[in-house]
Amino acid sequence: MVAPLLQVSGLGKRFGGLQALSDVSLSVAPGEILGLIGPNGAGKTTLFSTLVGLHRPDSGTIRLDGRDLVGLKPHRIAAAGMVKTFQNVALFLDSTVLDNVLTGGLMRHAIPEASELAERCLERVGIGAIAGKLARDLSFPERARVEVARALCTEPRVLLLDEAMAALNHAEMDAFMDLLRQLREEGLTLVVVEHHMRAIMALCDRLVVLNFGQMIATGTPAEIARDPAVIEAYLGRSAA
Amino acid sequence: MAVVQAILDGLMIGGVYAVISIGLTLVFGVMGIVNFAQAEFLMLGMFVAYYAWAWLGLDPLLAAPLAFAVVFLLGAALQHMLIRRVLKAPEVAQIFLTVGLLIVLENAALLMFGSGFRSVSTPYQTSSLQLGPLFVSVPYLAAFAMSVASGLALWLFLKSSWFGRAMRATAQDPMAARLMGIDADRMHMLAFALGVGLTAFGGAVILPYLTASPTVGTQFAVLMFTVVVLGGLGSVAGAVVGGLAVGIIQSLSALVFPIQLQNLVLFVVFIAVLAFRPKGLLGAAR
Amino acid sequence: MSAPSLRQAAGLALLAALAIALPFAFEPRGYGIRILCLALLFAAMAQAWNIVAGLANQISLGHAAFFGIGAYTSTLLLIHFGLTPWLGMMAAAVLGGLAALLISLPTMRLRGHYFALATLAFGEVMRVIGNSWGGLTGGPVGISVPYAKPSLGLMQFADTRASYWLMLGALVVVTVIFVAIKENADAAEVIGVDTTRTKIVAAVISGALTAALGTLYAQFQFFFDPDTVFGVASISVRMAMIAIVGGIGTAAGPILGAFFVIPLEEIANQVFSAQAAGLSQLVFGVLLILVILVEPRGFMAIGPRIRRLLRREER
Repeated sequence: MVAPLLQVSGLGKRFGGLQALSDVSLSVAPGEILGLIGPNGAGKTTLFSTLVGLHRPDSGTIRLDGRDLVGLKPHRIAAAGMVKTFQNVALFLDSTVLDNVLTGGLMRHAIPEASELAERCLERVGIGAIAGKLARDLSFPERARVEVARALCTEPRVLLLDEAMAALNHAEMDAFMDLLRQLREEGLTLVVVEHHMRAIMALCDRLVVLNFGQMIATGTPAEIARDPAVIEAYLGRSAA
Repeated sequence: MAVVQAILDGLMIGGVYAVISIGLTLVFGVMGIVNFAQAEFLMLGMFVAYYAWAWLGLDPLLAAPLAFAVVFLLGAALQHMLIRRVLKAPEVAQIFLTVGLLIVLENAALLMFGSGFRSVSTPYQTSSLQLGPLFVSVPYLAAFAMSVASGLALWLFLKSSWFGRAMRATAQDPMAARLMGIDADRMHMLAFALGVGLTAFGGAVILPYLTASPTVGTQFAVLMFTVVVLGGLGSVAGAVVGGLAVGIIQSLSALVFPIQLQNLVLFVVFIAVLAFRPKGLLGAAR
Repeated sequence: MSAPSLRQAAGLALLAALAIALPFAFEPRGYGIRILCLALLFAAMAQAWNIVAGLANQISLGHAAFFGIGAYTSTLLLIHFGLTPWLGMMAAAVLGGLAALLISLPTMRLRGHYFALATLAFGEVMRVIGNSWGGLTGGPVGISVPYAKPSLGLMQFADTRASYWLMLGALVVVTVIFVAIKENADAAEVIGVDTTRTKIVAAVISGALTAALGTLYAQFQFFFDPDTVFGVASISVRMAMIAIVGGIGTAAGPILGAFFVIPLEEIANQVFSAQAAGLSQLVFGVLLILVILVEPRGFMAIGPRIRRLLRREER
């Protein structure tokens, strides 16, 4: 059994009267692709935001390689190697695609190296052709991909992807999943939030299911598909 | 011909106005707040240069980098202790924090330096060069040259340095910048310190042809705001364009109006720009 | 208007009685009562400012423009036409309201910082005009309000207590208007009325009231100059600061603020002014910064905040 790379224990977060997360625990092994699923409002984005330091949890620990990240500012957590992408995409709109991705590399490199790294990341994600375009002028799927490229440029150890495939068609999704598998081969660990069930089932090694801020199930995709609690949580929702 | 002379003078003064105001626009661009106390840092720069001249015999133009450095450090401290705390506060808090800072700085200067006017005397103070039928005042020219140099330095810094890029990222989206590993708080501090430092630099280079007093800030405040609003709040290039424009407007209106009314034209222009084109000539994203 | 409870009404009545009777505890022409008058006047001014800040949610740094317009209007009408300041005050209010309309129409839609800048510039415009149009205003030297004999008709009093009651009346009027507008604004938002228009209306009323108060100031001080009545620090920022210290958007805030700031200012002037010019102002700058950092909602928020702190400790 390999020691987990990311270990979350008893994470709780309250906003005013709403308990957004309660007692969430999960662990991710190095090189694993973990899927995080649950109905809308289950707390998936809140969990991601808390993991990267945008919110401070009320309780619990977040250990990356044994080191507790709770209380650290987001830029330190990024430096430690955990980075997330935004569901709504948060690019630097007045900068070019290359500049956006380059910014990711600034954390560890001077501009020349960051620039090279950025170009490589653009190629990996398959958007080298639009390197010179202004982020403001991109379509939503293009922006989502720049977001991923930028996150890659930070050379993370754990990448949290928040619905990165939302705007992709089936062919693009397959290509994207291949990319993720390749990245995993190269040593990256992934936690993925997706609503496309097909993608989740095909891609992930394990799944964690959230509902109302609590973990209701965890296991392999096959186990989760049969879990009655999960089925109930999703009752009435169509699987993609 | 008087008009051409006025335009020439206006351009040179305008270059200085640009440098003085760049700091204001930089702070707004990166942090989203208008620093109502910005002109007080001009006053501080003038005093640093004045005392460098009085005690060390340094020409104000040479003391300008010193003024920059001193005020840079002061600015960093003020940003960290005060400004940082209102970045997420409602606008009324932001406005009145810097207004309060304005009051504190001006009156602290009054206490420390007394209300008297101070001027330096430099060997070139009254000389001018002749360009055909036109006269170029040497102090104006020197101030202009220093301003251009510092403006260029800033431009290079913002465009190609690591810090410049990090600041630009922070300006566009502080949260995304943080997630990319950029310490947005430190970038804010840098932007503010740089901004007020540059304004102080500007104050030093104009000392040869102006007098320093604790209240000199109020003379320049609305002028600086006019420059940045005209050029577009947040745009450094806009501050340059705005500065030159304001210099020329002021210079030309001096031909027509008596001295008390000269700034009136400026204020009216200011309000007109705010009313009809608040984004300014080179309007930035904000 | 929502009817006050019996207890509130009784409390207000008691407060009113005290306020009216207070001057009798002071020397009729003494220093103490002058301070009270100034406090009342600035409370009224801060309340007028409060109408724009608290209700239209825009920060004006240029209300001195209206104040100065008021002071000069009534004084010039008195000097040149012998017009009683009571009518002069009406004229002042009209001009003040017009000026407010003039500056609000193009700027009310602007975001906070921009609006503040525009009003700051407007105040400065008036100050520059005041200083340079010597023929009209007497220029930077200032202008004296002619004083013949004590006369209610000419709004001039030997007994400062009369001024007190006048200022008290003004404060009450402005406060009532503030409360009325507040009720209206809340209702308007619920119904969905065009808020920019209501904001402009609020600004016009605020400008008119501030100008009228300028008249009262002129008739109290009997002398003023452009730098004082159009001054950013002396009038615009001071009015705003009083409202902020007391609590923006509340009816009691400006009153609390004025009765804290004005007497404090006087004490500071007495204690410090001999040694150093600028020290009392410095103290006020520091006070403003502290208020912003510690409790930006002013005194009015301190009570509830202490209560919340106590409640939290109980848990």
